[in-house]
Amino acid sequence: MRTNFYLYIFLTALCFAACKKEDDNVFKQSPDERINEVLSTYSTTLTSAEYGWKGLVYPSAISAVPFSFYFKFDTANRVQMYSDWDSSTLSVMQESSYRLKALQQPCLLFDTYNYIHILCDPDAGINGGYYGGGLLSDFEFILDGMSTDGDTIKLTGRLHGSKAVLVKATSKEAQDYYDRKRNWDFDYSSRFLTYFKKLHTGKGDYDIYINQQYKSIKIVNANVKFSAGYYFTPTGVAFDKPFTDAGETINGFEDVSWSEDNQLMTLKVNGRVVTINSDKKPYIVDSTAGSRWYNAAINAADYYYSDAGIHVDGQDDYYNFKSISGFEYLLYYPNFQSSGYDFNGIMENSYYGPAFKAKFSTSGITTFTYGGTWYTIPDYSSTTISNIVTKFTESTGYYFVQTSDYNTYDMVNVKDARSWISWQLF
Amino acid sequence: MKPLNALFFFLLVIALAACSKENDDLSGVQDIPGLGGDTWVEDSLDKWLYDSLTVPYNIEVKYKWDQFEFDVTKTLVPPKEEVVIPAMQAIMKVWIDNYIKYAGELFFKKYSPKFFILSGSASWNDNGTITLGTAEGGRKVVMYLLNEFRTKEMDGYQLGDTANVKQIFHVIEHEFGHILHQNIMYPTEFKKISVGLYTANWNNIYDSDAHQDGFVTPYAMSSENEDFVEMIATMLIEGKEGFDRIVNSVQDKTSDNGTTQAQAVAALRQKEAMVVNYYKSAYDVDFYALQKATRDSINALFY
Repeated sequence: MRTNFYLYIFLTALCFAACKKEDDNVFKQSPDERINEVLSTYSTTLTSAEYGWKGLVYPSAISAVPFSFYFKFDTANRVQMYSDWDSSTLSVMQESSYRLKALQQPCLLFDTYNYIHILCDPDAGINGGYYGGGLLSDFEFILDGMSTDGDTIKLTGRLHGSKAVLVKATSKEAQDYYDRKRNWDFDYSSRFLTYFKKLHTGKGDYDIYINQQYKSIKIVNANVKFSAGYYFTPTGVAFDKPFTDAGETINGFEDVSWSEDNQLMTLKVNGRVVTINSDKKPYIVDSTAGSRWYNAAINAADYYYSDAGIHVDGQDDYYNFKSISGFEYLLYYPNFQSSGYDFNGIMENSYYGPAFKAKFSTSGITTFTYGGTWYTIPDYSSTTISNIVTKFTESTGYYFVQTSDYNTYDMVNVKDARSWISWQLF
Repeated sequence: MKPLNALFFFLLVIALAACSKENDDLSGVQDIPGLGGDTWVEDSLDKWLYDSLTVPYNIEVKYKWDQFEFDVTKTLVPPKEEVVIPAMQAIMKVWIDNYIKYAGELFFKKYSPKFFILSGSASWNDNGTITLGTAEGGRKVVMYLLNEFRTKEMDGYQLGDTANVKQIFHVIEHEFGHILHQNIMYPTEFKKISVGLYTANWNNIYDSDAHQDGFVTPYAMSSENEDFVEMIATMLIEGKEGFDRIVNSVQDKTSDNGTTQAQAVAALRQKEAMVVNYYKSAYDVDFYALQKATRDSINALFY
């Protein structure tokens, strides 16, 4: 009886509970209505931008390197595109299709091949990435939010999580793309004979470091330390974040032109002509870089290597290491076998090379003293080895410049800054 | 019935009835995004595909990207729009037109796979190999590497491009072969020809070693069914001459598995004869005529 009693109470309660007919929705509209609304807002925003959109894509494999695009979306699922991938993708407009689709989130899909897919192609022969993954970039993007004024749209790749951003273009920017105005002269920065370069804006003087491989730029002086990715625009280059100093904001360089004879690059900043010139000493010497370089290898019980050889007077691999059959890289092994000497070796089928002792001055200059050789130097390499010894033992020594957050350093001679080696921890 | 139990029953009925007072409201169903498939503004390419393949053969070609048609973990890219029509035209010439000519339109419409998915790139496998085609359930065929599809009419064509394109044809003929034997089984004697030599390790075997064991391709060694359809695909794509070349390439030595040259050649010839007989008895198709026409179509595209 007692059991039945509880059962009555339970069933009566169930009756009342079952009667509750109202849904308690957090949102007034159904999920479908809401997603349609979001998609149509994005669609209107994308297609109504009269001058199209500038886009930056950061592939996940090299997530600090921006690639720039220009998109013009129409209402018939077509998109016109330019890209700074190479000179032809910047000068030939290509049209393909796009779609907005509700996947797990509202998404923007570039659903037939165009320039944006070059970064994604799993054939590494096309983009220099990985076989089977490319640069781990995307062409299916989650629409990840829009600024309140509708000028900026954030995108996140669905497969590889690459980041991208779309910014409304101005009429001039759009016109510059369609007029096929191109300027690749910024790439001539590799033709400066000295390692160090200085930017003079009229408001400030800075050291400027340009890494073309990773499209990154560093602008430094006593007051400011700025680094950013850069990308090509129809008239020059733009930074992916603004540089501010001396009461001025710089978003990039326009009208870049290069004079080989004068070793001078002229550019426009905010409408004003500025210059980059060559110099043998930077404003700011990283005085601990040499010992950091050395100790990183000691701590890791490892060595540095450089497969590009030694750059001298504008020429890569000046001493022609690559002519040594089987040459793999030049190496630097601090305190080799705890001998107190470093091993600066040629790695080919065997290895051999000079022994050095490195000394670090407080002013940031590293000097090398010769202490004999490691292993037997084959006859065919004797000239190469004596060239290396002469170069390393220059009495004026070397500056070190850290080129990334990882253990990569450039070693630049103090005498004229026209010789350098790029080291990477093995 | 005791009054107590009656009450119990009554309450239970109320409880259940209370749950279903109202019909579900289905009025919002048309709002579900993507219901009924993807839509977009159709252009001349969509119209060409519809008129050339969907209307006559009920074949749908999906060239716009849809990740869910592929292995979702793979990095792939969609095809370039300009390759879609040339690729499908070539497939029509090599595969559709010839089967219709030698087996009849009804036959083709009845058995053809109905859904073609296109990918611009190859599908890269973990072991570094690439996949150029897959198929599911006799209905769907996925073709890869369309962006490198080139025939002699297209810009930048090189003789080396034929390898990719022939692979694509091979995949289609292969999958179509599966559909045929799934409808009418080939004679079980076929399974006895190479008994004991089938292996899951086929992907580590060179073409020449497969030939030496009496198989037309390494993949043919994976099972009897694959053996049968690889025979069909290779014989059609390479033509009689090409197939004879494969048979003649078997060298005068005994394979690692103990197959002699004579045994390997006999196995290949026996399989060839069974495929030809199968086409005749099951579908009343003259295989050699179909083979010649198919190879002629391929020659016309490339050479």
